Amino acid sequence: MSVISTVLVFVIIPAAIIAAIATLVLAGSDRSKPDRRYRPGRPYDFPAMWFTATPQHVAPAGDAYTSGLIIEDSSGSPVRPGPTGGASDSW
Amino acid sequence: MTVGEVTPVEQPADGPFSTRQLLRLDEALRVADQVTGLHFSIYLGPLEEPVRESAEKLHAQTRNPKRAVLIAVSPNQRKLEIITGSDARRRISDRDAKLAGLSMAASFGGGDLAGGLLIGIDQLASHAGRS
Repeated sequence: MSVISTVLVFVIIPAAIIAAIATLVLAGSDRSKPDRRYRPGRPYDFPAMWFTATPQHVAPAGDAYTSGLIIEDSSGSPVRPGPTGGASDSW
Repeated sequence: MTVGEVTPVEQPADGPFSTRQLLRLDEALRVADQVTGLHFSIYLGPLEEPVRESAEKLHAQTRNPKRAVLIAVSPNQRKLEIITGSDARRRISDRDAKLAGLSMAASFGGGDLAGGLLIGIDQLASHAGRS
């Protein structure tokens, strides 16, 4: 192996690969853009949103809600008098 | 206002979702409404304590609360509430709602808000069946 091909294989080609990767690393990402993804445990500071497929079904705040008598069951937890159902969860 | 438009409560064009995710959510809500005949909606934002009661107040603000299904998610409090009106409750039992809530909480715990909401809508709509 001549001196020129040795230099080419062991110096110039590795240097070219390192330079290419370094360019990609330095040019790749724009860190100034804020991260919009939600991550559990990090604060979520976006304005409140209400998505609906039928916006005409939403009434202005403050009507229709009536709170009723609070009844307790045998374990002492309140039984809601309202007819609404559903479920709760947390993560 | 067009059908399926996102209604920002305070300030527009700022949220945790990309345009593609918003389109998928819009599509999911629209299809769920059409197929089941119920009115699905999603509230994403802070809920006052007690969380359940404030979510029920939001649910009562819909024009036809009996047929409305509200998914209220508070990422800061890490709480979610599914509220079904009296008519909707006959189609989606509290057990089914809890099951959907579990799947959603699993996605939210992994940081996937849009995915969790899509899974929740899909499960609730499947349990509700066709109108």
